[in-house]
Amino acid sequence: MSVALSGLLVGILFGFALQRGRFCMNSAIRDTILLKDTTLLKSVIMAILVAMVGFSLLASAGLIKISPSGFFWGAHLVGGILFGIGMVLAGGCASGITYRIGEGVVSALSAAIGLTIAAVLTMIGFLAPIKDYLQKNTQIWITFPVDGAEPVKVNPTLANIFGMNHALVAIGLAVIIAIIWIVIAIKNREEPEKKTKVSLFTAIFSKGWVWWVTGIAIGLINVLAFYMSTLAKRSYPLGITSGWAGIAKGLIGYEQVTDGVATAYKLGWGDYLIIGIILGTFIAALIAREFKIRWPGWGTIGQTFAGGLLMGFGAITSGGCNVGHILSGLPQLGIGSIVGSISIVLGAWVMAYLLFVRPQTA
Amino acid sequence: MTAPTKTLNVCGKICPYPDMDTMTTLKKMQKGEVLEVLLDYPLSVERIPRNLKKQGHKLISVEQLDGPNHRMLIEAHGLK
Repeated sequence: MSVALSGLLVGILFGFALQRGRFCMNSAIRDTILLKDTTLLKSVIMAILVAMVGFSLLASAGLIKISPSGFFWGAHLVGGILFGIGMVLAGGCASGITYRIGEGVVSALSAAIGLTIAAVLTMIGFLAPIKDYLQKNTQIWITFPVDGAEPVKVNPTLANIFGMNHALVAIGLAVIIAIIWIVIAIKNREEPEKKTKVSLFTAIFSKGWVWWVTGIAIGLINVLAFYMSTLAKRSYPLGITSGWAGIAKGLIGYEQVTDGVATAYKLGWGDYLIIGIILGTFIAALIAREFKIRWPGWGTIGQTFAGGLLMGFGAITSGGCNVGHILSGLPQLGIGSIVGSISIVLGAWVMAYLLFVRPQTA
Repeated sequence: MTAPTKTLNVCGKICPYPDMDTMTTLKKMQKGEVLEVLLDYPLSVERIPRNLKKQGHKLISVEQLDGPNHRMLIEAHGLK
């Protein structure tokens, strides 16, 4: 299968699941403090657990290679917090603003344009030195003594810093989290809502999905993404921000210089993934009759664009957005992604407090 | 049909404004007054009814008008 087709297909599945599950990590993080609603957060944790087990199994079978992102604490902290702030302003996380374009949400498009511009400027433009400074000066490797050979530097994970087997730690951790979760759920059991019976078709195509269906679906799509992207020689699960930057590089005809030879940038797997997400959402929204061009007014457009700029700079500096770090990095147990994820949550909470909680109580 | 006391139009707005605007408007209303909310954001159509209960407000009806457009009637709990 060609790289384009593979990326597009996984993207379409991802977009479909995002739209049906109303999966938004901005809401998931923000609503826990704002509306005291944890439904979406449960979807996110479910997706992480499924991926944690799935990645381990595929890696044990030799089909993928666990590839945690680098650990540069200063860059994670600064980039993650700015990303979190930006995401609340933009009204959606990186995946949230991407899929909502397919629903016709104009403010999501302006946020995505902001994200793309800032991401490109931070990768190859005038903001790059700030990112490089933060990453180079705070990077921590761990060195592995491989038998008889020179020690190699690797990106730290919860497993390799203790010299333990990855699958063992990942699956063990997933089981422990699942048990704690079940105990909490039993303690806080609420009366089940009365459900009206609907056909399977209606349940899948026109109603919003229940949280655990969304979580499992997105977890499985991420496992598929890791496998398919490995075949396409990309070797990382789902990610959003670099895909947007890739599309922009393709559009401006960016030329990569290697060994003095300039070659035009060719769209990669992650770039096609983005196009697929928007297509998949569009299909899902059309079937559910939820597509509509939604114009929010210029004030909102400006705010989401500014939010997008912060997200783009934050994601590239931190080495991942909410998808790269939380959905794809946490299941690989990367220390960098753990710090990156915590920073994103902190930034989002601070901004949600300033923007929504404080004005209400004042 | 209950006649709404007030109408709130949050069409075009997304996360978290439809929810926030609905909740703050309800907070300012007297007990028994009815708020009509017009919205087109799918997540909020499902999330607002879920969160109303916690605040003590009562959902009277949710009606799908045309595609994603919904009309919601809510009876305020009257916290004031």
